[in-house]
Amino acid sequence: MIGKLLQADFIKIKRKGFWLLSFLGAFGVVGLQIVNYSLRYDWLIQQSDDKWLYYLYNVHSFTAMALVLGIVILTSLIASVEDETNAWKQLIALPVSKMTVYLSKFTVLATLLFISSTLLAIFTFSYGLFLDLGEPVPYIEILKFSFYPYCASLPILAFHLWIATVSRNQGIPITFGVIGCIATYLAYVLPDWVIWKWPTLMNDWNDPLMNVWLGIGFGILLYFIGMFDFIRRDVK
Amino acid sequence: MLFSIMRSEWFKLQKSKVSSIIMLGPALGFIMGYLNNEPLQAQQINGWFIMFMYNSLVYGLLFLPLMTGVLAGTICRYEHQAGGWKQLLSMPVTRNKVFIAKYLILILLVLLIQFLYFSAMFVAGILKGIPDPFPLEIALKSILGGWIATFPLLALQLWMSIMWKSFAAPFTVNVIFTLPSIMAVNSETFGPIYPWAQPFLMMHNFTDNMDTLFYVPAEQVLTIVGGSFLLFFIGGLIYFRRKELF
Repeated sequence: MIGKLLQADFIKIKRKGFWLLSFLGAFGVVGLQIVNYSLRYDWLIQQSDDKWLYYLYNVHSFTAMALVLGIVILTSLIASVEDETNAWKQLIALPVSKMTVYLSKFTVLATLLFISSTLLAIFTFSYGLFLDLGEPVPYIEILKFSFYPYCASLPILAFHLWIATVSRNQGIPITFGVIGCIATYLAYVLPDWVIWKWPTLMNDWNDPLMNVWLGIGFGILLYFIGMFDFIRRDVK
Repeated sequence: MLFSIMRSEWFKLQKSKVSSIIMLGPALGFIMGYLNNEPLQAQQINGWFIMFMYNSLVYGLLFLPLMTGVLAGTICRYEHQAGGWKQLLSMPVTRNKVFIAKYLILILLVLLIQFLYFSAMFVAGILKGIPDPFPLEIALKSILGGWIATFPLLALQLWMSIMWKSFAAPFTVNVIFTLPSIMAVNSETFGPIYPWAQPFLMMHNFTDNMDTLFYVPAEQVLTIVGGSFLLFFIGGLIYFRRKELF
């Protein structure tokens, strides 16, 4: 059942900008560094002995915010696919459980974001090579900076899918998104329990892996809370 | 007639919980102002300056530009539901006036948010006991500067919100243009010519030079803010006049 639903959901998101956004998010984050490094290459390259790591930190400074805003946009878009044509009723009227409907939407978005993170790794690597940042190429670090934020942002994905699917007014999840984006921007002053801080990989233990485990754990928890609330409510 | 359209827009907005959206700006100003740990007392410069400066890094750079998208989306929400555009335009109103009325409401909302934001910082500063006198002139300059700088952003967002039914699509345009301004404001060549960086540049009181009307040169306001405003406003208006309704 879930397979058919996934197929249907992937067809529904065609030509609505989902794939373009997944590409743009990753490309934009590296693109900003392309602009940055082309404008002041000489200055940036002298900032640190570890040129690769310094470059990765520069890329990373936009990853978290792009990820948070990307989640806000994708969740709201996938909800409006059904909202706009009043299709929730028809979808739920099919012989499928509400639980799988919700799981399918989550899986689609988690897949899109995963592809986006993979693209981020590829773009980061390619532009880094182009910049000639020296040997050795820190493959592991590139992968960490691309996929750790993804895992750490799963609670935000679960939270936003929840409020986007239950809100009649999509202005509400978007407004939450603005607040979340500001929280991510201010992450360095916020306490560790704020989930919008996690994608930045900052924490008091100085251990990015902590955010990954927290992200996966709370992601699952928030996913179930959202799913049960979605099931409990009347179809909008 | 324009006034009555504006009044009906205002009624519709109240149904969309616009008051809670408006209160976010002042809430941010208050929380950031109150929790700011920078020593706001007993410094060489006025404690209020420091608070304004720190807060504008978030409010002017991200919050205000992003909120223009939320406000514009909200003002078009009713019309996008169940043939609302047809209903609205079947009344004896012209499309020009509907567009202008919606736009005027949007800029008035932002002006209100600007005043509330500075009032909230005023309260936060009093509670924290900033001993210096409140720099009213500086505050007014930032209020008006930030307000004017959102004119082109609101025009573009209104255009995009009329174009797309979903809330997220116009917001995406907003995000794509707003995020780079974090980098643009650091550049002396790009910052001044990037429209999405203007709300920050026109609010950020890096100088207490009181000779000029705004913190940025008047030519910059006229060409960049004025130019992009004309482009987006006229573009949006032409689009709306020709839009096929369904």
